[in-house]
Amino acid sequence: MKAVRLFTDIFIITDFELRKVWHDVSQIFIRAVQPVLWLLVFGEVFAQTRLLPTGNYNYLQFLTPGVLAQSVIFVAIFYGFNLVMDRDMGLLHKLLSTPIPRYSIVLGKTLSAGVRSVIQALVVFILALILRVHLILNPLTISGVLVIIILTGMCFSSLSIFLASFFKTRERMMGIGQAIVMPLFFASSAIYPIDIMPTWLKVVAHINPLSYIVEAMRALLVTGDYHRITLDFGITVLATAVLVVLASTSFSRIIR
Amino acid sequence: MNMIEVDGLAKRFGQFIAVDNISFKVDKGEIFGLLGPNGAGKTTTIRCLLTLIPMTAGQASVAGINVLKKPQQVREVSGYVPQDVSVDGDLTGYENLLFYAKLFHISRSVRQERIQEVIQFMELTDKTNELARTYSGGMMRRLEIGQVLVNRPRVLFLDEPSIGLDPAAKRMVWDYIERLRDEFEATILLTTHDMNEADHLCDRIAIMNGGKIVVIGPPAELKAGLGGDIITVTSANANCRQALQQLGYRLLPQSQDSACDLVVDEGERKIPEILDRLKSEGVNTLSVSLKIGTLDDVFLKYAGKRIGEGDLTWQTTISARRTARRHGQ
Repeated sequence: MKAVRLFTDIFIITDFELRKVWHDVSQIFIRAVQPVLWLLVFGEVFAQTRLLPTGNYNYLQFLTPGVLAQSVIFVAIFYGFNLVMDRDMGLLHKLLSTPIPRYSIVLGKTLSAGVRSVIQALVVFILALILRVHLILNPLTISGVLVIIILTGMCFSSLSIFLASFFKTRERMMGIGQAIVMPLFFASSAIYPIDIMPTWLKVVAHINPLSYIVEAMRALLVTGDYHRITLDFGITVLATAVLVVLASTSFSRIIR
Repeated sequence: MNMIEVDGLAKRFGQFIAVDNISFKVDKGEIFGLLGPNGAGKTTTIRCLLTLIPMTAGQASVAGINVLKKPQQVREVSGYVPQDVSVDGDLTGYENLLFYAKLFHISRSVRQERIQEVIQFMELTDKTNELARTYSGGMMRRLEIGQVLVNRPRVLFLDEPSIGLDPAAKRMVWDYIERLRDEFEATILLTTHDMNEADHLCDRIAIMNGGKIVVIGPPAELKAGLGGDIITVTSANANCRQALQQLGYRLLPQSQDSACDLVVDEGERKIPEILDRLKSEGVNTLSVSLKIGTLDDVFLKYAGKRIGEGDLTWQTTISARRTARRHGQ
């Protein structure tokens, strides 16, 4: 009975978060500009130079999973900012005065980040198909990538909510969004292989969950090489779980 | 029965004492007002009662439920309308109501009925399916109150319910609040810095200043406690003051020979009598004005300053302005 209540609560929050997106679909396309630039401009140009050792795959194939991950992070990292906005208005106080438990609110919001990420990723997928990037697409790889995308959305929106409960102001959260996304992106295997990084950066890349997320999607969509996929999934699930717990426990600090 | 009981409530933020050892009780069906300037501790008190922030010291119960021991249950029977905008502009009016009906776990069988009832009661029929951000200030406020009404709360907490509204919308909100008490049998705790609002709406008020409650009572009683109304008489004759003193009237110290302030009960009835008696003493009056005691005077008496002179922090100012702006002022 308690579990049922938990799931209903989470789905209520997710449902209404997604209705907001539904009322203003344009934001999906605005958020798509950046990934489109990476794929269409950066990707196309670098593909011509053939400077990066991407093995048997062309650069656009290599880059697509990285850009997928990046588009997801861009959606998720602003959840903390939105929460601060809700707090600055009266929305969050009112929400917290209802009987719904705090962790359900956090889980509901992060789950909606996951689902929004899927919508956002669809735009990148469609673009990749238009650019004729060769991807392995079958029910298994597609559902695998969907799971990874939802987890990534949950993972980074929790991170964002966790940070918001300490930094608390819009200005700081704006800055933090920028300050986190790019370093995470560059210190991962998203746009170049880890092998060519200097040693210090390799270390960072190895503890960066984004590397594992990208690696999992690359294995599913591009290489079909599954020998590290259990590790990749394991780390993604672990990082998500840790951050969701941290966000849930720190969450109510935001109104103090 | 007491629907709200507060005993020795205190709240500190670091060194700053926001609420300083306050106690009060609110009876079932009462409209109780916390009146005071911004920064007096009204909102903090409400947030402590609603279990949004932990209290530093003291005890409190809402509808007989201990706030410290059973926060979840307190939230189930309470409805909170914060001062700032609390409807989601990116959802329609209906969705805003549905969202809260679900959050309060209203069972599916009565959900639609409750929502329609609120839509009727709050007169939101016209724009139910439009995004809330297109609503006028008054309508947004009605939707904000409507959101918590779907739960039929036993205790309703309204933080500055009419802030930022134009006079007509303000009147309308006042009417709703009175009907809420009568038709939904809710007990209402509201905060306000508006004397008229407190005077018009509240059965009893607690005047707050600097985190403390300085006086509690029905508005009429508090005003009566001022000792009466003030009549100002000016005259061309220099013996006006002397004459009034001889007639046995109580004069305020700032009175001059030809311009006197008198303290009387029921001022409007005393004016003819004063004029007649002055005339028989040979004093011609030039003008008479009457100032009926207000809650502002009550506040002045107990807090030592006028309510508008409250120490505004920039944060409360910004918050109030933002609210006013969002409500279309």
